[in-house]
Amino acid sequence: MKGKFDIDVLVASPSTITNRRVQRAMPDYAKMKKPDVKLVVLGDLNVGKTSLLHRYTERKFKDTISTVGGAFFLKQWGPYNISIWDTAGREQFHGLGSLYCRGAAAVILTYDVTNWQSLAELEDRFLYLTDTANSDCIFAIVGNKADLTDPRALVAEPEEEEGGDEKEGVPWANPSPTAPPMFRKQVFREDAVALYSRILRYKLLDEAASMPAERMCFETSAKTGYNVDLLFETLFDMVLPSILRKKSQNESPTVDLEECLEVNRTKDGCCT
Amino acid sequence: MSVKAFELVPAVERDLLMGDKARINIECIECCGKHLYVGTNDCFIHHFLLEEHTTPKGKLAFSAQKLLHKYLGLKKPVNELKAASALERLIVLCDNTVTVVDMVNLEAVSSGGARIKGVVSFCVNENPVTGDPFCVELGVIAAKRRTVQIYMVYEDRVQLVKEVSTPEQPCAVCLDGYFLCLALSTQYMILNYNTGASQDLFPYDSEEKKPIVKRIGREEFLLAAPGGLGMFATAEGVSQRAPVNWSESVIGAAVCFPYVVALDEGFVTVHSMLDQQLKQTLSFRDGNILQDFEGKVVLASTKAVYVLVPLPLERQIQDLLAGRRVEEALTLAEGARRNIPKDKFQIMHRRILQQAGFIQFGQLQFLEAKEHFRKGQLDVRELISLYPLLLPSSSSFTRCHPPLHEFADLNHLAQGDQEKVQRCKLFLISYLREVRSTEVANGCREDVDTALLKLYAEANHESLLDLLASENACLLADSAPWLEKHHKYFALGLLYRYHSQDDAALQLWVRVVNGDLQDSTRSDLYEYIVDFLSFCPNLDLVWKYAEWALQKDQKVGVQIFTRRAVSDDQAGHLNPDTVIEYLLKYQQAIVLYLEHLVLDRRVQKEKFHTHLAVVYLDKVLGLLPQSPTTTQQVTEAREQLQNLLKESNLYRVQLLLDKLQDTELLLERATLHGKLEEHDKALHILVHQLKDFPVAEGYCMWASASRDQDYQQRLFHLLLGVYLDSDAPGDEHTMAAVDLLNRHAGMFDATHVLRLLPEGWSLQLLRPFLSGALRGAMHARRTSQVALGLAGAENLLLKHDRLKYRGGPVFVSEKKGCQLCHNTFTEPDCVCLPGGVPVHTHCAAQRARDSPRKRQSTNPSNHT
Ligand SMILES: Nc1nc2c(ncn2[C@@H]2O[C@H](COP(=O)(O)OP(=O)(O)OP(=O)(O)O)[C@@H](O)[C@H]2O)c(=O)[nH]1
Ligand SMILES: [Mg+2]
Repeated sequence: MKGKFDIDVLVASPSTITNRRVQRAMPDYAKMKKPDVKLVVLGDLNVGKTSLLHRYTERKFKDTISTVGGAFFLKQWGPYNISIWDTAGREQFHGLGSLYCRGAAAVILTYDVTNWQSLAELEDRFLYLTDTANSDCIFAIVGNKADLTDPRALVAEPEEEEGGDEKEGVPWANPSPTAPPMFRKQVFREDAVALYSRILRYKLLDEAASMPAERMCFETSAKTGYNVDLLFETLFDMVLPSILRKKSQNESPTVDLEECLEVNRTKDGCCT
Repeated sequence: MSVKAFELVPAVERDLLMGDKARINIECIECCGKHLYVGTNDCFIHHFLLEEHTTPKGKLAFSAQKLLHKYLGLKKPVNELKAASALERLIVLCDNTVTVVDMVNLEAVSSGGARIKGVVSFCVNENPVTGDPFCVELGVIAAKRRTVQIYMVYEDRVQLVKEVSTPEQPCAVCLDGYFLCLALSTQYMILNYNTGASQDLFPYDSEEKKPIVKRIGREEFLLAAPGGLGMFATAEGVSQRAPVNWSESVIGAAVCFPYVVALDEGFVTVHSMLDQQLKQTLSFRDGNILQDFEGKVVLASTKAVYVLVPLPLERQIQDLLAGRRVEEALTLAEGARRNIPKDKFQIMHRRILQQAGFIQFGQLQFLEAKEHFRKGQLDVRELISLYPLLLPSSSSFTRCHPPLHEFADLNHLAQGDQEKVQRCKLFLISYLREVRSTEVANGCREDVDTALLKLYAEANHESLLDLLASENACLLADSAPWLEKHHKYFALGLLYRYHSQDDAALQLWVRVVNGDLQDSTRSDLYEYIVDFLSFCPNLDLVWKYAEWALQKDQKVGVQIFTRRAVSDDQAGHLNPDTVIEYLLKYQQAIVLYLEHLVLDRRVQKEKFHTHLAVVYLDKVLGLLPQSPTTTQQVTEAREQLQNLLKESNLYRVQLLLDKLQDTELLLERATLHGKLEEHDKALHILVHQLKDFPVAEGYCMWASASRDQDYQQRLFHLLLGVYLDSDAPGDEHTMAAVDLLNRHAGMFDATHVLRLLPEGWSLQLLRPFLSGALRGAMHARRTSQVALGLAGAENLLLKHDRLKYRGGPVFVSEKKGCQLCHNTFTEPDCVCLPGGVPVHTHCAAQRARDSPRKRQSTNPSNHT
């Protein structure tokens, strides 16, 4: 596989995935590990957030149901643990976004290239949720489902196992007769780039001092894997400085997950 | 799904509480140790003693004994009860007023002071910042709009310590340290009452649905979120766990690590905090209250109280394992690491890992299985014992009890699927290979190696031989029949060898070579045996099998003796004489052996040399009378003989000469004569009988090799003489003589030759000889002149040195002592050391003898 590091842990809300395979290779007890840094995937429902994470962590494209609440994955990246939060796009869970974004080092704003509204929603409904993210939070704008509009995205990433049963990996120059019908592309790269500039303005960030739009706008396909590794690995590399700073400051009084054992304390405090 | 994590056990039945009074409902409960307090809507507090016991069927049950009930006299429902056991107080909320009553008699304490009015709801800080054990910190939602108050409750009074305002009306509160976790009318928030800092969590419509705020650990809370979610949030305002998915109608939640228990209208659901999955659902109607008290989860309907008793962790894990949910079981076990004493945990954890390994093994997930076996430090024999007959019968192993898996053996596991069996076997091979040299195999190396040997033998695995050839612990008694069964006789031989039973090994191998047993492991087994014997230190064995080996092939068989390393050590030493005597029967072998002694090892013993020469000779003689087709062989045989006769000086010449007397082996005879220095005889034979002049010349060269020039000259002259012998004149001899002279001019004394030659020979004929002789003479002369000149020069140099060293006069007197012996000089003779120091002649001589550098020291000088 392309990633340098294997995924360690998968923690998912029970309802996120219907047929979740329980048997993963080696269960590691990193489940208890405290993540060093947080990435959050935001976006309207059905744009393919969960699918992107599946593609990246399990190298597969599989059936999903609309996410309930949220879920997260822990990714071992070198010596660091990165938690990647998959959020629910449904209106109902919208309010949880701020909580998820708090302290995030990077936010992936996801839209569906065949759906103009999904891009508009990013600005209207999702952007303000990121107010709680770190002040130096990195933003990526990701147009998913590129396979539906862009023949290039039909080419499966070479090292990946085949997920779907459709005939994928057809070179675009010679599209096979069974290639899926093309959808109209509603959102173009320029639109995403423009949104990116507006985000910088919203955040009162200096465009010259921030990551350039060309590097931060991606078009991906969770279905074929097109640009998926690129997306995540680019972001991991960009958040590394943030991790290092956090480590050096070492000020974060984050609660150890295992502290919940505390619950067994007596209600009277120290006396038993 | 469906772990059985909890069991619902009735604690207080309806009739004990309210009998048949239909309108009485349970409003709140509190549980503190064995004490259960129940508040009802008719303003009563009931106090029960809850005893735990086990039914004859082994089930846990509770029996409740009513100690007291007390009417608070307000006709209002009792809203909340909290025990402060250190103070022996019960904090009661009824009719918007908090009062403090005695835990035992339920009487209100000191009328006025211990009372807070205008309270909507309150909570106890289970993790207070103040360390005072004799007070309890309360977070109170005041009826006054948008205010939360912090009170300290003492034995007989309460004290307001802080009041903070909130942006909206709070309706539920929880307290941890300085952090208030509040449900406001439209959202949840965290509020630090010490600093006033606040943190919005997420929106929630508390008007529409009752919020839940539940402290689950230090600075972490569990909150009811939209869509029936249970959200986790820390005091910092972040979520570190994925939410759990309750139903929309959730009423209450409690935590009993590692589970989150929730109550809704029809069910109690149990989610794991470790993986957020739903683990158990219990149906429960009319649920009203769900709360945890010191890890005990208590559940109440409006009429009765129940306890959700967690099943022992191990039991839960075993259930999961029984359902083959390995990963969940391990997660659960791992999650409990901190709750169980370390050694106990380790034992449990190990066992679970082992069980998990076996489950995966049964599903042929070998990689995972191996990893779990490794982590669980599995006794490998548990695994080996699954494979019928692999463990040695002598093994003391018995399977662990209770068993780690459900398989009787491999066949049971594979259900007759041979491919599965095969894959399992391959796995075991790779597994045993890996562990045999690690500490895993400590204490059962025999079992491991024997099992591995059996697997190898059965699978026709090439590593069988490597295993046996290197250090191993295979048990002979158990392995031998197995190897025989699989026709691995060569391997069995190796095993015998390893156990120092060389004889048994050889016997077996011999039978394989003879074709009595079938084993194609080594096509060169015969050579292998010979090689083995050539190294074998046990001479009895060597003698025992030598005959068999030699009879099979003398040329190879004799290597038993020829390859044997020559050692001084008595143990493995074979006396060549004994060997020769033994080999006499084997014509071919003995030649090879003698050649080995004489030619290879160069043993300088007359006996062997003579013997070899005689053997060679006999061979030649044996070949001679035969048909001409054997010329080639004869030539070879003769060459061997000739070489030996020429090279060796040890054989008995006379003996051979006698043998050769009447044969045509002229060259050989000549050589023998040459060995006796009877050169005239030899040359006579060569010139007159063999008539081979080049050979004659060669003879001269050979016979005079490593002799001085005179000797050489003598021989050449001798040959010339034979050529010129007037007794047998002939042109060819004349020509030979001329050729000899011309070719070897330097070998002759020219003046002597000229005197010998007949007058009539032309000068032209001898030109090469003469010019060669002349050049030789000239050369010799000039060389000697040069030598003379050089000698003269050296002499001059020496003279010069002498004069130089002599220097001035050297004084010797009776007063002056010799530097070396310190005696005085009595005679004028003395020796001067370099630097002119006189010493006694004998002292100098003595010193010169002792000193390695003799030449420098002596510098005799005669003195006056
Ligand atoms: N063709 C195509 N379909 C995709 C792609 N990614 C996701 N989908 C489909 O889009 C649908 C929604 O995918 P999800 O990953 O569940 O979307 P989501 O963003 O997680 O949705 P919520 O959880 O409701 O917020 C599913 O039917 C996917 O099969 C893609 O790259 N190409
Ligand atoms: Mg989703």
